Parts: sequence; C-alpha cells; structure tokens
Amino acid sequence: MSTTRASLRWIRADVKARRGQAGLAACVVAGVVTALIMAATLLEDGTNPWRGLFAQSRGAHVWIHTVGVADPSAALARLDQVTAVAGPYRTAPATLLQGFVKSGVTLRAMGFTPPEVARPLIREGRWLDPANPTGVVVERSFARATRLVVGGHFPVRGVDGVTHDLTVAGIADTSDQGFYPERQPGLVWAPADTVRQVDPVSRLSVTGLLLEDPEDAELVVQRAVTVLGGEVERAFTWRGIQAEMELDNRLLGLLLALFGIVGLVAAGLAIANATGGQVLGRLHDIAVLKSLGFTRGQVTRMLLAEHAAVGLAGVAAGVLIARLLTVSVFADTVAVPLSLAPLLAITGGTVLTVVVATLIPAWRGGRTPALPAVPVAPPHGRLSRLARVALLVRLPPALVLGARDAFTRRVPAALTTFGLAVPMMMITIGLGCWATLDGFRDNPEQVGQAAALTVRPGILSSAEAKRIAESDPAVAEVYPGADVEVFVPGQNRTVTTRAVGTSRRPYPFPVVEGRMFARHGEAVAGQGLLDLIRQRIGDRIRVTVGGSTVILRIVGRTIEPERDGEVLSLGIDSLAGKDADPPEFYSLVLRPGADPAEVRTRLLAASRNGLDVQRVVNPAERLEVVRPVIVALIAVLALIALANLLTASAIGLRDHKRDLGVLKAMGLTPRQITATLVVGTGLLALIAVVTGTVAGAVLSAELIDLQGRTSGVGAGIGRTPDPVTLVGAALTALAATTLTALVPARRAARAQIAAAVRS
Amino acid sequence: MTPVLAVKNLVKIYRTAGAPVPAVRGVDLEVEQGEFVAVMGPSGSGKSTLVHVMAGLDSRTDGEIWLAGERVDTLGEAAWAVKRRKHIGFVFQFFNLVANMTVADNVELPALLAGQSARQARERRDYLLGELGLTAQADSPPGRLSGGEQQRVALARALANQPTLLLADEPTGNLDSGNTRDVLRLLKAVHGNGQSIVLVTHDARVATMADRVLTLCDGQITDDGRIKGRGGGVSDVVRLRG
Amino acid sequence: MRLQLLALLAKEPAHGYELKQALEQTFGNAYPSPNIGQIYVTLGRLEKDGLVRGVDVEQSNRPNKKVYHLTAAGLDTLAIWADEPTEGPRVRDEFFMKLVLAPMTGMADRMALITRQRRHYLALMQDLNQLLAATDRGNRYAILLIEGAMLHLQADLEWLDRCQEELL
Repeated sequence: MSTTRASLRWIRADVKARRGQAGLAACVVAGVVTALIMAATLLEDGTNPWRGLFAQSRGAHVWIHTVGVADPSAALARLDQVTAVAGPYRTAPATLLQGFVKSGVTLRAMGFTPPEVARPLIREGRWLDPANPTGVVVERSFARATRLVVGGHFPVRGVDGVTHDLTVAGIADTSDQGFYPERQPGLVWAPADTVRQVDPVSRLSVTGLLLEDPEDAELVVQRAVTVLGGEVERAFTWRGIQAEMELDNRLLGLLLALFGIVGLVAAGLAIANATGGQVLGRLHDIAVLKSLGFTRGQVTRMLLAEHAAVGLAGVAAGVLIARLLTVSVFADTVAVPLSLAPLLAITGGTVLTVVVATLIPAWRGGRTPALPAVPVAPPHGRLSRLARVALLVRLPPALVLGARDAFTRRVPAALTTFGLAVPMMMITIGLGCWATLDGFRDNPEQVGQAAALTVRPGILSSAEAKRIAESDPAVAEVYPGADVEVFVPGQNRTVTTRAVGTSRRPYPFPVVEGRMFARHGEAVAGQGLLDLIRQRIGDRIRVTVGGSTVILRIVGRTIEPERDGEVLSLGIDSLAGKDADPPEFYSLVLRPGADPAEVRTRLLAASRNGLDVQRVVNPAERLEVVRPVIVALIAVLALIALANLLTASAIGLRDHKRDLGVLKAMGLTPRQITATLVVGTGLLALIAVVTGTVAGAVLSAELIDLQGRTSGVGAGIGRTPDPVTLVGAALTALAATTLTALVPARRAARAQIAAAVRS
Repeated sequence: MTPVLAVKNLVKIYRTAGAPVPAVRGVDLEVEQGEFVAVMGPSGSGKSTLVHVMAGLDSRTDGEIWLAGERVDTLGEAAWAVKRRKHIGFVFQFFNLVANMTVADNVELPALLAGQSARQARERRDYLLGELGLTAQADSPPGRLSGGEQQRVALARALANQPTLLLADEPTGNLDSGNTRDVLRLLKAVHGNGQSIVLVTHDARVATMADRVLTLCDGQITDDGRIKGRGGGVSDVVRLRG
Repeated sequence: MRLQLLALLAKEPAHGYELKQALEQTFGNAYPSPNIGQIYVTLGRLEKDGLVRGVDVEQSNRPNKKVYHLTAAGLDTLAIWADEPTEGPRVRDEFFMKLVLAPMTGMADRMALITRQRRHYLALMQDLNQLLAATDRGNRYAILLIEGAMLHLQADLEWLDRCQEELL
C-alpha cells in the first residue's frame, strides 16, 4: 500500500524520539523470554538428561549386542544410513563384591584413548591408563548406587568364580544406557586385557552405530538383525534409552507453566499499560495525522506495527541472550539448548502476548477524533470534602494534593495498581514456594523422610542388625521395612509399595488426609496412586504381591514426592509372611541433633562392617533446581513492575506539568513539590503492594497445594512465607517504587517552572 | 463551473452533558474556483466549527457538503480521510506540526500519504520549503522554530498535495504583527497562483485580504459580500490635531 | 444634538423638558446630562431651519409650554441621515446614536445599519491594507500611523460585533 511509506516515516521518527521507552519495553520482553527459556532449559535438562549427554558424548543412535566370533562392524558399517561405528567392544558379565553385597556388572573392553563415537564423559578421575592396568571407569549412576569413589576398591568375580582386584580410576556419564538400577547390570569400562583376564571365553560384544537420520533407528535395527541373523542378542535404539533416562516430573513442569503464564500475563499488562501511556501522550500527534488524512485503521495498524516491532526485537534479543547464557554461564550444568517445541511455545506465546497487549491501546488511538484540540488539560481532580478537612487539619499539603492527583485518571490508576499488585502477588507466591522448599529441606519428616539411615543386614542376621541398631544411643526408633513391587488393579505395570513399621507401630508417614493405618490390612497412599487407580480414601483395593493377593483398605493420604506420588505405604505385617519376615531393612529415626554420618560410622564399627548402613536421600532434593528458577522469575516480575511504575510516573508528570507552576506560586518548596508528585504514584504503589502481598500470602498455600495435588505429590505441602519475609518483601518493594518515582519527579520539580506555566 | 466547495444548510449541534449546543445553524455557502473567502465573526459564533466540519475533521449534524462536485458528508470516516489527502489542505491556529518529526518530514508526509513516490515527495517538499524560505530549517524539529516559521511550515504542509481547497482556522491568531504580515503575504501569493482559500479569522486586516467576506453571527451567516476599497486613507479613521 | 432631537420627535411630539428626560432615560450615565438651555437653543435653530414646528399649548396655572412637532422636511433630513454610513473620525458616537435611535424612527433596520457600517469599515481596512503594502518599509511613521488606524478599525469592528450580539 502506498500509505505504508507515510506510516513507516512516522514510526521511524517516533521510535527515534522515544528511544528510552522503546528500549525499556524491549528489555522487559527480552527479560521475560530469557527467564522463561532458561527456566525451561534447566527443567528440560533436569528431567531429560539424555539430550545433553548424547550431544556431548556424540552418542550412538543404535546399540547392537551380538554373540559370536565374527566381527560385525564391517557388515554393520555397510548398512544404509550408518555414518560411523563404535566398537565392536568385547563385553563380559561379572559381579561386583562389596562386603556381602553383590551387584551385577558388564565389563566393556576399551582402548586407552577414549573413542570418538559414544565417548564416555569423565566426571571424576580419569580415563583408562596403561600405567594403571587395574584401573576401570565406572558409570556414574552405578557408582552412586554402589557408593564407589575414585581410588576405591573394585573387586569383581568373573563367571569362573575367580576374584580380581580392580580399582576405580574414574567415573563417567554416558548416553549408552539408562540409569542404574532401572537398567541393570551396571556399566564398567575396562582395559581389553583386564576383560580378557576376567573372562577369557566371552564371545559377547556390543557395537554402536551413528546414523545419518536418527529417525531411521528402528529400520536400521531391523536390517542389522537381517544381516547378522542369529548373532544378534539384543538391540537398543536411542529412543528407548531416552525414555529410560527420562525423569517424569510433573511438579516442576506445572510450576514452570504457572510462572510462565503469569509472567507473560504480567508482561502483557505492563506492555499494555506502557503502550496506553504512550498513546495518551501522542494523542495530539495522532489527531494531526488524522487531520492530514490517515484513516482509523491505518493509525491502529501503525501503532500496532510500531510496538509489535519493539516487542519482536525484545523476543529476538531474549532468545539470543538465553542462548549465550546456555553456552557460557551454564555450560557445565546444561549441555544443550532448549529443544524446539518449548522454544517455539515460549517465543510464540510472548509474541502473541505483545500483540494482544498492544491491540487495545492501538485501537483506542485509532479512534482519536481528527480534531487536534488545544492541548487538553488533564481531568482535574476535585478536592473532596475529605481532602479539604485534611488540609484544614494541617496534614502536609504534599500528602493531600498527591493523594487527590493519584485518582484523577481512573483507568490508568487502575491499570497501574493492577500492574504492580499482580507482580507483587506472584513474588509473594514465589517466596511461598521458597518457604515450601525450605520446609522440605529442614523438616524431612514432612515429606516422608523421618528416618535418616537405612540398615540392611549383611552377614549378620536380621535380629542382630536390629539389636545393634537399637543399642546405639542416638537412635530413637527402629522400624522394620521391605520394599516390594505390587500389581494394582487395572495397571499393567507394578507400583512401589513401602512396608515400613508395623500396623500397630507405624512408621511416621506424613499423613495429611484421613488417618494413619492402625490395623492389619490398612494402608495409606500418595495422591498419584489414588489418581492412577481412581480410588478414594475409604475404598478397598486388591493388590497382588509376589503371587499372593492381599486386600487393603486405604484409610489416608500421604505426601509422596517420589515417583509422582504413585506409592502405597502400609505396615510390614500386612504383607504375606514370606515377604515380611525377616524384614529387608530397618529404617532408623535418629534423636534430634544427631549426626547421621557419625551414627553410621558407629554402627559400622559395632557390627564390624557386617551391616550395610546407608544414608537416606531426601527426595525433595531433586526439587532444589526450582530455586534458581524462582530467583530468575522474581527478578523478571520486579522488572515488569518497575516498568509499569515508570509508565505511571510519566503519565502523572505529564498531567501535572502545568500544576507545577501553580504549586510553586502557592509557596511549596521544590522538595515539597517533589513530595507531591511522588505521593501520587506512591499511594497507588502502596495500595498495590499491600493488596498484592496479602493476595499472594492467601493464595500461596492454596496454589502450591493445587500444584501438589495435580502433580501427584499431594496437597498439604503448601506453605505461606513467614510474616517477617512478607513484611521485608513489601517494604523492599515500597522502597524500590518510591525511589523509581523519585528521580523523574525531582528532575521535573527542579526544571524550568516558567516553561511549564507558559506552555 | 462547479464550485470548489458547496455547503447546503449545514447544521452542527454539540451534544454535551448538559443542553445541546447549536454551533452552526443552517449555513449555505458556495466557493468558486480561485476564490479567496474570509469568514469573520465574534468568538463563539461558530466560525471554527464551520471550517472544521467543512474539512471533515468534525461530523455534521445535518446538511450537505459538496467538494469539487462530489458529495462528501455521506462518506465514511475512512473514505473522507482519503478524500482529504488530495483535496484539502488545513492550516490550524496552533500550527499542529508533528513534534517528533523534522520540518522536512512534516512537509513530506501528506505527499507520501497521497501515494507519491519518495522521490516525488522529496522534490515537492524541497520546492515548497524554498518558496516559503524554510530550506535552512529543513532538518530541525519544529519545537526549535519560531511561531511564524512554524506556521509557514504548516502552510507548506497544507500545500504539499496542491489541494483543491485550502482551509485556514485563525492562521495568524498566535502570531505577532511581523509574522502576521509575512504569513498574509504568502497567502496572497498562493492565492495569486490560483489556489482557492477559505479562511476563518477575527482579524479584519486578515479578512480584508480576501475577495469576499462572510460574517457569521451565532451560527448563521448575516452578511456575504465582496469588499471594495474606496481609496480611503488614515484620516478617515484618525484625525491628527496639531 | 440636532439629529438626536429630530429622532426623538419622529417618535412623538414633545416639549423641551420631555425631550431632556427622554435623552437622560435613553443614555443614562454614559452620556453627559443635556443642558435644558442647550436643548431650547437647538430646538429654536431647528425651527428656524424648518425642520420642526413649535405649537403653543395652554396650561392652567402655568406658563404656556411649547410642544414641537417634526415637519416633513425634518423627516426627510432624518431619512437621509439614517441611510448614509456615517463618516468621519468621531463616527462612533454618531453611529451609536443612530443605532440606538433608529428603531424609534421606524426608518432603518438595526441589522442593515450594522451590516452597512461593517462593510464600510472593511472597505476602509482594505484601503489601509493596500496603503500599507505600497508604503516603503523604511517610513516608520507612516507605517505606525497606518497600523494605528487599523487597530482603531479593528476595535470598531469588534464593538460592532458586540452591538450585534446585544441588540439583536
């Protein structure tokens, strides 16, 4: 259209004239986008570590396990789509001996230089070294589960029964297989000679294939099986491995979604407010344009284009900054940038928000009458009776005049208040999340981790283990326990069942609804399990444990942060005899103040290393990744709130430019004038901060509970931030808003008063 | 010949919060090609309203408006805006230049709006700025110019598209006598080039530059005629004693 | 004062003292109070010119009062006076008189009066415009004189507007 030239000319001049405001708007958008992308990246990496590992280690798409003499690599390399081959590596099964604990391992024969394809990522120690022929590299999840450290002993017994004393040279991550103990046996890389020593006759080998198009993995497996025939023992594709590694964590995902949406809404409000303020300041120019012959639609499109362009620039900047952060600051934590789908969702959502937020002010700008009237005096606040009384009673005039001014323009005042209250509310909710995490960390019994140590009988008998544990002065309670997998009705996979304590003396599970079980045949369940089997408290379910069926009645609901809440808890005596006696382990609850490490050492000494004493990991530790996310989002919300405030200040100052001269004539000093100008915005900010903080405090516990409920962990975890924090946050917010309003107000009060009066 | 502007029984009533205010109460007017018409009247007589309604900047309540032989008052807001680009140039009392565009951009804007290419618009702009003596200030923002200079820019802008009709609402209302003289001289020159002008003013000196003076009182035209000088002089007004 | 008295007599015949009262009532404090003696002298001159005719009226217990009537010649004079635009420097006063009194004479429409006077002023203004355009920029006194006259004219025109607003 020919008229776009004219529109572009105006847009260019306008953006140049209001560079600062445009820059700030772009910054707000960039900040929101960066925060969302970073949070999503952290979350994705936290819940799906496979992507990062695969990229860093140049993983193989397909792993073929073969049994036979021939070297399959040549045949496999000839297959279509295969670009590189890893291996073949000879493998041998063995058993790791730790005291009387045996763990199955697979030794994989490797060279002394790390391979190009599917390279294990050394995290501790170093790779295989010819100078250390007994050194092996252990896969990290296996090392963690078996408590191996670099330099520690690694005695393995081969199939022939001979024990070989190896040492741990390094610990590495790999994308070759899922985590232990879900995937067994544990993966260990050893020098080829060592493997031959342990198992001279093994004919097993494993070959990795790097493909051109990862989507063809299944087809390649098919062709490999065809080519190699009966030699193929097992085959894995990257998709399967990725699924194994995936930690489904609905809570974090929901949390992120909540913050994301609210962040976008708050940003949208800020942009709408800012755009509205700018259009208000440009009404005169817009009227002039219309008098020249711009149509209503043209003006609307022009304003929309102008602000949408600024928003788009912000989105692009945000994506760029997030990418930079990922490769620089977070290079160690996160290996790969965000995958495409969430990235598109975030950028698309932000662009949509910017457009929608700009739509209404742009439309209203278009409806300006074509008559550029004499510079419009802003609506005068009427001095209400209340205000007159206040002046009579000698309240500072600054306070009264400022208060009156605050409410002259209704809609911008409402928008400003809203635009400050919502971020404040979300910040308070964020603080509530923080307090909830603190609660998990400091009171582990509230998430079901009353016991600090678990004792498994090794060589000693179960009764001995119990006696030794009970005799320790720091141990308060000893609960027998067993972890079994049960089948529940309607599901084709098993569900973890925790049988700890007896029905009469139950383990202190954190029951938040209903009651704790008190009898044989009663159980409590996590929210996730109740959702899964679609039962409620009071219902009976029939579960199958190790072949026998047990009928249980669900009497309560617990907070269950593990496995998305799909856990059943009951007394050990509710199980059939063979599963319950002797107990698999004992959970030890320590006296307050006792140090679990000390107690562990004592128990090991008392049992002469006959017991296997393990520290219990607080399941809520996984949620700690939320903390930096909360900080990032609070920062973004604060930025949005301040942007809103600046808009409000600008509008207020523009309205009262003329009043400045009058105020001075009335005898107010520049300081008092500044005070008047600041009080106006300050009052709105005060109302907003108080409303937001109160609303946030009220909603915080409920929202978090809602999150907990829908994620399976269960309602009852929500915490309100404590009053000191709340007051502190509110005061900080007020101080920040006052300062933000102060600077332009001081400048305006000191500026040429005469000019203001003359105009 | 079709008149450049024809107005029949134009009525404009403002509906405010209180009683409706009739600003224009039935005005008939025809302006021929090349005429210079001045509309005089006391403040509140409706002169500004009349010229704003004729330009389409404000809606009429009743009556017909014909611009270059076409009826325009029935057009939608957008269509009239398009007509306005080519047919009407408007000069306001308070200049109303776009504050954040340079003088050159201000003058070029109507030409771009009317669909001319960037080069054509630039040529027309340079020509106008030269004619009105503003070439030196082409790149300044309007805020830095004096009142008289700003009004000259406004005049240049109004003439950018060689409009059928030039409308002016108190063009010298905010100017001192020196600037008033300059602007009047320019208007006379523009009229000399064949431009049709309708000008609203309370200043008799400005009004008598025109061929035809209308008197508007209380929303109605009370007088409409050509003014012919009679070779009078100062002594007809002031007698010096000495 | 001649024409004021003629105009008043056009409405109805009156004697000297009634004319004085009429003048005072019409103009109130704005116009200096007419001297009764001056009125009689003017009436005498008008009678001598044949524009009015005095008629004696007998009164009991009092000296005779003379009631004056307008003659046909007087009526003509009035008509001519009403029709022509008033010229000359002190046009204000005379014009105002005309404006106020004309309806009483039934001779001139106030609107027409105002319009005619306005056109006269505008024509004068146009003359002054041309004069100013023709004057050399260096001749400061001439320019000032012309601009002074213009300002007076502008003021007169605005006053005309006020009259139109108030009286019509």
